[in-house]
Amino acid sequence: MLRYRFLFEQMVRRELRQRYKGSALGVLWYLVNPLALMAAYGLMFGVLLKVPGTRTEDYLLFLFVGLIVWLFFSQSLLSASGSLLEQSSLVARVRFPRETVPASVVVVQLVTFLVLLALVLPVALIVRGSLSPALLLLPVIVACLFALALGLALAVAIGHAYFRDVQPILAAAMVPWFFLTPIFYEPSKLPGIDRHQWAETLLTWVNPVAPFVQGVRDIVYDGRAPSAGVMAYVLVAGAIGLVAGQLLFRRAEGELAVVL
Amino acid sequence: MSAVLPGEIELEHASRAFRVRGERGATLKEVVLRRRGRRGGPPPVRALDDVTLHVAPGETLGIVGRNGAGKSSILRVLAGIVPLDSGRAECGGEVVTLLELGAGFGRDFTGRENIYLNGALHGLSRAQVEARMEEIVAFSELGDFVDVPVRTYSSGMLVRLGFSIAAHLDADVMLIDEVLAVGDEAFQRKCLTRISERIEAGVTLVLVSHAPGAIERVCERVVVLDGGRVAFDGPAPEALLHYHRMLGTEHGAGAALRAGPADRVLAVTEVELQDGDGRTRHVFHSGEAMRVVFTVLARGPSASPQLALEFRDQRGNPVFNTSRTLELDGAGAQLVLEIPHLALLGGDYDLVCSAHEADDPDPGIDRLAGFSVADEPGVRGVADLRGTWTAAEPVRVAT
Repeated sequence: MLRYRFLFEQMVRRELRQRYKGSALGVLWYLVNPLALMAAYGLMFGVLLKVPGTRTEDYLLFLFVGLIVWLFFSQSLLSASGSLLEQSSLVARVRFPRETVPASVVVVQLVTFLVLLALVLPVALIVRGSLSPALLLLPVIVACLFALALGLALAVAIGHAYFRDVQPILAAAMVPWFFLTPIFYEPSKLPGIDRHQWAETLLTWVNPVAPFVQGVRDIVYDGRAPSAGVMAYVLVAGAIGLVAGQLLFRRAEGELAVVL
Repeated sequence: MSAVLPGEIELEHASRAFRVRGERGATLKEVVLRRRGRRGGPPPVRALDDVTLHVAPGETLGIVGRNGAGKSSILRVLAGIVPLDSGRAECGGEVVTLLELGAGFGRDFTGRENIYLNGALHGLSRAQVEARMEEIVAFSELGDFVDVPVRTYSSGMLVRLGFSIAAHLDADVMLIDEVLAVGDEAFQRKCLTRISERIEAGVTLVLVSHAPGAIERVCERVVVLDGGRVAFDGPAPEALLHYHRMLGTEHGAGAALRAGPADRVLAVTEVELQDGDGRTRHVFHSGEAMRVVFTVLARGPSASPQLALEFRDQRGNPVFNTSRTLELDGAGAQLVLEIPHLALLGGDYDLVCSAHEADDPDPGIDRLAGFSVADEPGVRGVADLRGTWTAAEPVRVAT
């Protein structure tokens, strides 16, 4: 894999160049989209429609921290799912490690995420006074988030190459998934949640993205270390996601040149 | 499983079939239907059928065959892009492929950036690519175009870039498909020279081509594929002769080039090459008589039917072409073209023909018949313009 480090770099460049080729803003579009979404959600949930029961204190920061985690995760999966198909001329005619195709897409999304984080984090540290030793855990959570997103990206990319329904299914699932992820609310503070304990469990633990949102928010917004449960979940989810995705990809990649 | 040497190629009972699908890829619906046992569509195509082949390091192998004979499949299997259904395929050492025009190029990358990308695809590091950069750029003769996005390139320029990159990667095995045919004559010659140098350096070469000329010049050994099987494997001259004989005899005379002449009102359904005595032949001598028998089928009334034919040399250049108005009564006609004196020199030729309306802008080709003309001592070229030599008046130089 080390031998192909340069290939990886080149594939990332290729991805950056192709997605928004010929547009005036070019690579900046990677930031325009999430920023527009953040503005829209901020206006909607922060100003116009107050979600009852959630903390309103610096609500925009609360919202944005969750939102950038979600955007990284969802955009990685969505853009990775079609990636092998988009690069079919390469995959069908040149021998090289095909993992680099979806992986380069995820890396581009990771860079976007890190840029957004670099915008949000200093503001949070100043406004919230959340600078604490817990900040050292942030790279760990981000690494695990990357591992999970990469593993799932490998799975959906190879899946979509075989069954062209994967991408539409994924696109359709993203909207309900967004609402089931504690981004603009906190599950425990939802009105009436204490009468539906299962719902809180679902929102907090069954949804694999939720602990990542929780963990990043604990550190950046609250300035405290995430619970041991969240940290354990994040580590295990990242490891399982990456290994399972890789195994699936390895098993199925043989016929890739034929099915594309 | 035995290990192969760098540059060694081994295929053992290699088989591979492809399913033919109307649309690419499956949807969940199709998967569900297939699970229920409802299988539709045509049977799988056997692209490779029990192929066993051993190529020693440093050998030069040409592969010829008709469309669909399995030529490209062999290369894709050897390159490790497509797996086998059964059998074993191994290619020792570094394998460099040049399978399709512009494959692996980013269209919005400049030529130079694509050199980086392709070097990377073959596992080179930045430093290794940079060490070769100037040599590659010089070989490609692209000049300033090397810093322009390749989407503006002509197909000839794409070939030059692709070949220049492939030729400068440290390959043990080079797999080259068809692509050479696109470049201009001068660059083709340069490529062949470069290939010869690489061969002398001990590289194993597998070249798939429709141009027997290139194969004849470069390859010592040629494999003829037919229907996914090895039909002939031996020294180049014999193999190419076998190939031409196969093309000629398969359909009695000439191969059909159009999938469905059935939907056309007019079509040539058969071409037969004969000698002066009416016997079917595929090898002729210069100056012999040749008879070409065309069978034309008409499925309906036609305003101005005509028969067009063209002789082509082995590079596909026209040698002679003509057309003739047809007089059809009823379903069709048989026409004979008598050539009393075949004015062609040694080489391989194709006769292509079609029947169509005189004003058809794109008549295409209905049939092809290949034939060879035996070499004659002391003359080379295409046209036979041999005459008689006599001594003229002695020339006096004025003083």
